[in-house]
Amino acid sequence: MKRFDLIVIGIGLAGLTAARTAIGMGAKVLIVGRGMGALTLFGNTVDLLGEIPPETDIAEGITRWIAAHPEHPYARTGWEGIESAIAAFRGLFPPPYDFTASGQGNVLLPTGAGTMRPTWLTPVTMAAGAAMTPAETLIVGFRGFKDFQGDTVSLHLKCRGVTLSLPRYGLEGLSAPALARLMDETSFRERVGESIRQQMAGERFIGLPAVLGLREPAAVLKTLESVTGARVFEIPVLPPSIPGTRIFHRFREELIAKGADFRMGHPVSGVMVKDGRCEGINIQNPPLVAEYRADRFILATGRFLGGGLWAEMDRIIEPVFGIPVFQPEERGKWFGERFFDPEAHPIHRAGVVTDADLRPVDAAGRVVLANVRAAGSILAHHQAIEEKSREGIDIATGFLAAKRALAS
Amino acid sequence: MVKVVTMADIAHCRRKFMDLQTEVLIIGGGATGTGIARDLSLRGIPCLLVEKGDFTSGASGRNQGLLHSGGRYAVNDPEAARECITENRILRRIAPHCIEPTDGLFVSLPEDGPEYRANFIRACGAAGIDTLPLSPREALSLEPRLNPRLIGAVQVPDGAIDPFTLVVENARDAESRGAHILIHTEVTDLIRDGVRIAGVRVRDRITAEAFAIAATWVINATGAWANHILRMAGLQIGLALSKGSMLITNTRLSERVLNRCHPPASGDIIVPNDTVSILGTTSLRADDLEHYEVTPEEVTFLVDELSRMIPDLKGERFTRAYAGVRPLLQSEEAGDDRMISRGFTLIDHGSCSGPEGLVTITGGKLMTYRLMAEKTVDFICERMGLHVPCSTHVQRLPGAGQGHTLQDRLLRLRRQAPAAKGEILCDCELVPREAVDAILREGKVRELQDILHRTRLAKGTCQGGFCVYRLLGLLNERHKADVSGGSNLILKAFLEERWRGIRPVLWGTSLKEEELIESIYKGLFNLTSGEPVLPGGGGA
Repeated sequence: MKRFDLIVIGIGLAGLTAARTAIGMGAKVLIVGRGMGALTLFGNTVDLLGEIPPETDIAEGITRWIAAHPEHPYARTGWEGIESAIAAFRGLFPPPYDFTASGQGNVLLPTGAGTMRPTWLTPVTMAAGAAMTPAETLIVGFRGFKDFQGDTVSLHLKCRGVTLSLPRYGLEGLSAPALARLMDETSFRERVGESIRQQMAGERFIGLPAVLGLREPAAVLKTLESVTGARVFEIPVLPPSIPGTRIFHRFREELIAKGADFRMGHPVSGVMVKDGRCEGINIQNPPLVAEYRADRFILATGRFLGGGLWAEMDRIIEPVFGIPVFQPEERGKWFGERFFDPEAHPIHRAGVVTDADLRPVDAAGRVVLANVRAAGSILAHHQAIEEKSREGIDIATGFLAAKRALAS
Repeated sequence: MVKVVTMADIAHCRRKFMDLQTEVLIIGGGATGTGIARDLSLRGIPCLLVEKGDFTSGASGRNQGLLHSGGRYAVNDPEAARECITENRILRRIAPHCIEPTDGLFVSLPEDGPEYRANFIRACGAAGIDTLPLSPREALSLEPRLNPRLIGAVQVPDGAIDPFTLVVENARDAESRGAHILIHTEVTDLIRDGVRIAGVRVRDRITAEAFAIAATWVINATGAWANHILRMAGLQIGLALSKGSMLITNTRLSERVLNRCHPPASGDIIVPNDTVSILGTTSLRADDLEHYEVTPEEVTFLVDELSRMIPDLKGERFTRAYAGVRPLLQSEEAGDDRMISRGFTLIDHGSCSGPEGLVTITGGKLMTYRLMAEKTVDFICERMGLHVPCSTHVQRLPGAGQGHTLQDRLLRLRRQAPAAKGEILCDCELVPREAVDAILREGKVRELQDILHRTRLAKGTCQGGFCVYRLLGLLNERHKADVSGGSNLILKAFLEERWRGIRPVLWGTSLKEEELIESIYKGLFNLTSGEPVLPGGGGA
């Protein structure tokens, strides 16, 4: 049996941020996760709060917004908490593959549906998307890669579009990871760049699906830009996400280098609770059940998709600790009548409610477990999908949870 | 409504039919209407069918897909039971490719008692339905997920039927014999010529074009919508509308149809259907034919009630809920809709103080569609003085002999050379891009849902969450100019339609998957209830 200063449950962006923050403070950390985390599905850019209009200064916008949303996770961190957490995140991504904001406000980037989407930090491979103009942009799709429909993008953005054939590679198996690995090969990306160049009619921008390499995306970008003579940008595609996988790999590399322990692929099968504190967890690794003890725990297991929340037919539960979950009163009220209701579905506000220290509390406001904190999308009172705040909540609360946990 | 084919296609189609004349005009593209079109065509009588949506938009496409043995009706309605078993045998002969001959079990639980079981076996015998009594052990060895507390089961020749293929095949066969069919074409009025109905006025629901069709006979085969048409002639018939709700599971729960062996009730049947199972059903009065939903209470009821037959049902993943409206002929005595006869009626309005030349065929059920068509066409022939016998009970449908099960699909896929397979649009149901291309080449589909009806796209686990984005990419590639700016509207309309089916079953794994779909469309793709944002920040 091993003993840790901190065990982080969940390997999405919130859990990774918490683990890295704690390691940076000198703690002995174990991070456990049963899957790959939502990063590898949807991670592309870093959203803080997309609903703040691009012309508004983000610090002012979020500060005002927090005042109007006192129950939101950002009200726990404050703008300062977000700012320092984001600065720490950026520190993990030095150039050439760095994340930048384009000014004081949100920036609009094209999506795989040909819409524009607001975000805050952009990886270098997507940055040029903010500057594109329809008349000067060529959208390039790959025949057989069905998770990016170039014609849909170009028609909606009113750009010119082409679909390239990659003859050597059959039509069946073109997935985003397969394409990204091919792009990591210099000769392949040079050939792709050359095919694009032959299709160009004076465009200054090239939009491609977000598959520009897993290992060395900045080098892929550089090759394509030098061959085509245009500015190249990635556009997010259907899951899985290559840019999100890059973020995941960078965190994992850093955590391993700094001595964090990982237990991946197995669920937490039980928790040891005594006198209002968690003493340890069990991880099922059939046929064995291993026991891990720590002084502190951070629960960053995500929402329904990540397994942090689970919906029975009549109620929503938190399966690891059985922490009370704030939720609409009955199943009939979980969702609105229309998919695109102007209001977010009530179930999205469900989640774990915490005190100022991110410790889960019950309906009466009493702390449930003194040494357990919650971080990320499992928290109640946000609407990450609609308000476009997924990464911001993960990073800011993951950072704060680790700081507070180790200060206790 | 948003279109997916070019204006030129539609104009071409329209010119052919503008202000047409026909002998018999059929209203309704369900099983009955297309069955009548096929029967008329086989007897050499010219006809034209109009349908306001796509084929099977009404009860024909919103039922359990059950090939009744008649067992369900044997005790209470022997005549319906006899009709069922006769048609059951005919359909196995003429439409084997639409049928999975699974057999069915009538399962007795302790609370159902042995008396009903004995009655049931006797009544089936009297109706000519073969039965095979099974001990609990025998039943459990056939269907291991059954409640081990069962006291016995009776095997009958139930099965599963694919109503969409059945209807499309009837339509295809009718067309190949000279019938004309117009989908997305709605009747807006009946044209009167003195005491006769002389035809109908119709409107194309996609282009909004209006035109008239003259006919000697007009057959109202609109099922639950019968009174909607009759009102245009100031008529009304006694029709009770009964909503039945059903749930679809992600996997096939049993190899056979499972019925509770007790008097017909709600929540007493599970029908295997290809890779899934369909659980049914409820029976509630429907007021509004165009807007009805499956309520959370109905879903809870069905899951609770059917858990008696399959105890671990609650852990199952449900992919969709849907409801259909049955047209039930009103009997004099009020009461439970289940006690109203499932029989059909053929009304010659001319002989009961209505206009001549107008016939309504309604009531009945999918199982008797062919018989309903036969009786209707017999009547028309008699009035026309023609003596041509019906042959729909012996003439096989055109696709008979072609397999359609998952196994057949996999075999077909495996036989193709890797290079010819092409891109798979739908990973859940293995629908190749080529299958959609073939449908588009046929030129008959008018909107997205027409394509989805004709393939297994959007029928699998993700319910179209991934493949419809890909399908729209394909449509954009083919019809660039025509759908410019519109395909995200089609996508959003699809997601709303999908939502109606998915929302009632959102808990457990389905809810988990739904978070993925919402994260993609509202999160990643930023599709919202409002107007899209364009580059440069302006609204569309």
